[in-house]
Amino acid sequence: MIDIAGILMANIVYVILITLGGVLISWSVHFVPVGGAPAAMAQATGIGTGTVQLAAGAGLTGLVTAGAMMQITNNAALVLASGAVGAMIMMSVTMIVGTWVYAYGVGCPPASAKVKYDPITKDRQDLYVSQGTEGHGLPTVSYVSGVIGGALGGIGGSLVYYALMSINNGLALPDLVGMASVFAVGIFFVNAVIPSYNIGGTIEGFHDPKFKRFPKAVLASLIATFFCALISVLAIGGM
Amino acid sequence: MEPLTGMGVLALMGAAATIAGASEDLESDVGSQSNPNSQVQLAPQMMYPHRIHSKAVSGEPPSNALMCAIGGTTASVLISTGASAVLALAIGAIVAAAIHGTYSITAYMGRSASQKRFKQPVYLDVIRSHTPVIMGYAFITTICILVVSYLMVTALAHPFPLPLLAFIWGITVGAIGSSTGDVHYGAERQFQNVEYGSGLNAANSGNIVRKAESGLRNGIDNSWFCAKFGGPVTGLAFGMTVFLSGWVTAVFDATKGDAIGWVSVIAGVIIVLMLILWNRNIEVAARAAYGPYKEDEAEAEVAA
Repeated sequence: MIDIAGILMANIVYVILITLGGVLISWSVHFVPVGGAPAAMAQATGIGTGTVQLAAGAGLTGLVTAGAMMQITNNAALVLASGAVGAMIMMSVTMIVGTWVYAYGVGCPPASAKVKYDPITKDRQDLYVSQGTEGHGLPTVSYVSGVIGGALGGIGGSLVYYALMSINNGLALPDLVGMASVFAVGIFFVNAVIPSYNIGGTIEGFHDPKFKRFPKAVLASLIATFFCALISVLAIGGM
Repeated sequence: MEPLTGMGVLALMGAAATIAGASEDLESDVGSQSNPNSQVQLAPQMMYPHRIHSKAVSGEPPSNALMCAIGGTTASVLISTGASAVLALAIGAIVAAAIHGTYSITAYMGRSASQKRFKQPVYLDVIRSHTPVIMGYAFITTICILVVSYLMVTALAHPFPLPLLAFIWGITVGAIGSSTGDVHYGAERQFQNVEYGSGLNAANSGNIVRKAESGLRNGIDNSWFCAKFGGPVTGLAFGMTVFLSGWVTAVFDATKGDAIGWVSVIAGVIIVLMLILWNRNIEVAARAAYGPYKEDEAEAEVAA
């Protein structure tokens, strides 16, 4: 018989860390400038793909780098930082190549339809939004927001993985890595999906009015990840 | 590991990733997967029936993750029975391509048949000609991702199992493909009838170009066009992601101490800062080249 209460109490710190990681992922998704299908037709500002898709792509790249780092060091801060860097690199490379395509392939300047002036560069935006569109491309503010989103997502994903790997258990290392990484990917997806209800297809970054809705998603993620954390800690700790 | 060996492995991974990215994007262009598919589906409803393949199996990241996970699982089972890695990876990629081909056929039949009321035909010759191309690209994508994952597991001793790494890189390549190369297909190729130099006016939605350079346009014509720009840049994006995320730790090897690990983090941040500046540079150039589209009302009043 598995001592459920005992396992949970012995690993309560990791339950909290996993929940915190999930919350970070959920918050990070709000920073990522996605325009969904309209952005793929240069009809909306942001990257032309779905919220979950891009956030997961970046966060999981961070998970790969964090997994590699975790193998060689026990320094938690370094594992989290390398996860953040992996995700930031994926996100910024994707966005720069997106900008190439908008500027050279489609022929439109980056422009935001949500603000009149870019908060970072102070460039006028509304005059550069072409007719019949909701903006296009990635103005500097959206790019920086995306990088911040990548970093937070990478930290969140690595935190979940780090906590799962630290649970007291009787597993051989390859089995533990397999279970922890699959749980980390699963928890990442749960928390990438929840904010997409807030975002509703398009968000330009932290300057978008929709960004202010993040507390609701963060609260929902807190509850959802807490249950995920209980199950994952029991599954790994019970082995 | 010797730094030189590490860099060699990384270069090989980067090269395989570049091919995977390019073939992933072209595969999605042949079958109009992902976001531009919305226009291909909308066109018959706006009375523009067409001869373009339409196979939104799912979003690109899940569909590529499925392919790569199937390939990775098959390959790792074969390797565990003693098969050579080259054979195992090739057979894994063939199985993945076959399953992806099945999904493409059912997706095309289902989507086109459901638009019968808009007089959209189901072209059997489109299935015959496009499915092998889709499977071919799917095979190239899967085997390249499997090579990247296999090298990470064996040469770089990454702790994640092969199928999981293949799954994660499948998600990533799909995310990159649908973010970069698809825009070239969706915003430029599908709407070559509108003037170059601006975003797509929402009033033009559904009015996709249906005539090709010769005859009626199909998915293979689209991949021919996108192979000139969208496909290669997608390849560069995925290659850069795989290469740069490994490069910082290969050059600044954290096994020599945490301090060097932190240097690798700083190197990564510097790369990101350089990319932010590059984006700003292109932004300024594009604003000068294409805009502004409207006159400032306040200035116009003063001038009047």
